[in-house]
Amino acid sequence: MRRLTLKGRAIVEGLCKTEALVSRRPLSFLGGVNPSTGIIMEKDHDLYGACVKDKSLCFPHGHGSTVGSYILYSLAQRNLAPKAIVNETADPVVVVGAIIAKIPMVDRIDIQQIETGDTVEVNAYEGTVKIVKRK
Amino acid sequence: MHLTRKEEQIYEGEHGWAEQTCMEILVRLGELFGATRLIPIESAHISGVSYKTLGDSPAEFLQALARTGAQSKVRATLNPQSFDPEYMCQRIPRWTIRRQSRIIRQFEKMGLTASLTCTPYYLQKPKPKSHLAWAESSAVVYANSVLGASTNREGGPSALAAAIIGKTPNYGMHRTENRQPNILVQMSTKMETETDFGVLGIHLGRILKEEIPSIQGLTAATHERLKQLGAALATTGMTNMFLQDNQPTEKGAEKITVETQDLRETREQLTTITTEKPDLVFIGCPHCSEDEIRQVSKLIGDKKVRTDVELWICTSRYVKRRTGKYSGIIEESGGHVLTDMCPIVSYTEKFGIRTIATNSAKTAYYAPTLNRADVHLAPLQECLKKAVEE
Repeated sequence: MRRLTLKGRAIVEGLCKTEALVSRRPLSFLGGVNPSTGIIMEKDHDLYGACVKDKSLCFPHGHGSTVGSYILYSLAQRNLAPKAIVNETADPVVVVGAIIAKIPMVDRIDIQQIETGDTVEVNAYEGTVKIVKRK
Repeated sequence: MHLTRKEEQIYEGEHGWAEQTCMEILVRLGELFGATRLIPIESAHISGVSYKTLGDSPAEFLQALARTGAQSKVRATLNPQSFDPEYMCQRIPRWTIRRQSRIIRQFEKMGLTASLTCTPYYLQKPKPKSHLAWAESSAVVYANSVLGASTNREGGPSALAAAIIGKTPNYGMHRTENRQPNILVQMSTKMETETDFGVLGIHLGRILKEEIPSIQGLTAATHERLKQLGAALATTGMTNMFLQDNQPTEKGAEKITVETQDLRETREQLTTITTEKPDLVFIGCPHCSEDEIRQVSKLIGDKKVRTDVELWICTSRYVKRRTGKYSGIIEESGGHVLTDMCPIVSYTEKFGIRTIATNSAKTAYYAPTLNRADVHLAPLQECLKKAVEE
């Protein structure tokens, strides 16, 4: 199998290898993710009902209230946070959230190449995402 | 981004976790938006205060910052919370009040002032040309456009980080080259009331991307009316600044015209119900100035507020204190001059409020979703008529 490496930009440093959870839609953390369960609760979202815990959470970019950053911190305090965040375009809400929750983050990644269930290696020093196993 | 030696030390964690985290927020955002360095700010204004919109998550982060000794380096103020300390307070569960207080207490531990207002400029006006890190979007537009200060539209956490460090990255509105108008707006309709200004803001916000408009032919502008324009502009768009009259735009800048019909259509969209008897008449989004309180009290005079209508006039406790006599007149009539809170982030449903009459286009935009209420948008005088007995 060809191991595809996607190149992007490192935003918050870190390294992890885990299962990808991929959305094609922007995500609002405030009102979109339940801070005490990690489950996506934004109705009509393509990840509605999925849990972000320990995943490489891939979505185009964040939207909505800047308070969303605090939700990522809460998730991390409860061990419910994603292990990595992969975006097409980093926006302030998600960047600040990843910093305070200490979640490795990269952006400028073509997330269309990744599918939910793929195993990915996120290198947020180099700014790369390597797909090591297709689902 | 270039950091001084001291900033570098903070970034490396030599001054503890709290300052390191705040510095990291500023540096990462600065890099993201092309800043070259950090610049000192005169003040910070922090949003994300109301328990109703926040829930419990922020309290945990704020507590961690406060516990590890984070202290604001500059004058820093807070946006409104979800109830006032006297009237609404009595109808809200105690646990809600406790949780709201917990949030405020964390901010106060870090040396922030619990001003609880969206118009911090009525407490202390920033100096012209000063740099700020303000988060409330209506105050951001007012600071850039009316007060001549410079601020980006910060988020709650980034404004707090700027307060703790006392600096902000020098991108966006902090640079002169980004403060030039780049689109011309020609008014071909006459503006008469504050509501017209709000409606114009909603309309322009939708058309403009992040462009800075130079608005020509804006009639009857006062600071309070420009406050309505700015608040509404920030509600539907990303524009952080507008200019008026005779400000030369870039060569070949696009030009748009605003017709009477544009404003009529926008006004009709914002009014979801036409009613002579709303559950609530609400004035004070953004919070009222001293002049506005005086105007409301003069219009009410010795009339009585109907017993089946709530009249809420929202402002800061500072403005209420300074207008004691006029606030007294409003309260004697049966109205409420509420401080520290904003209905949009408050528990209006607990008061059985399903219909709201207001002069604020920003409120009209948000209330149907945030308060699940229908809205009648009308100028002050018309709103007050609905509140008082014939």
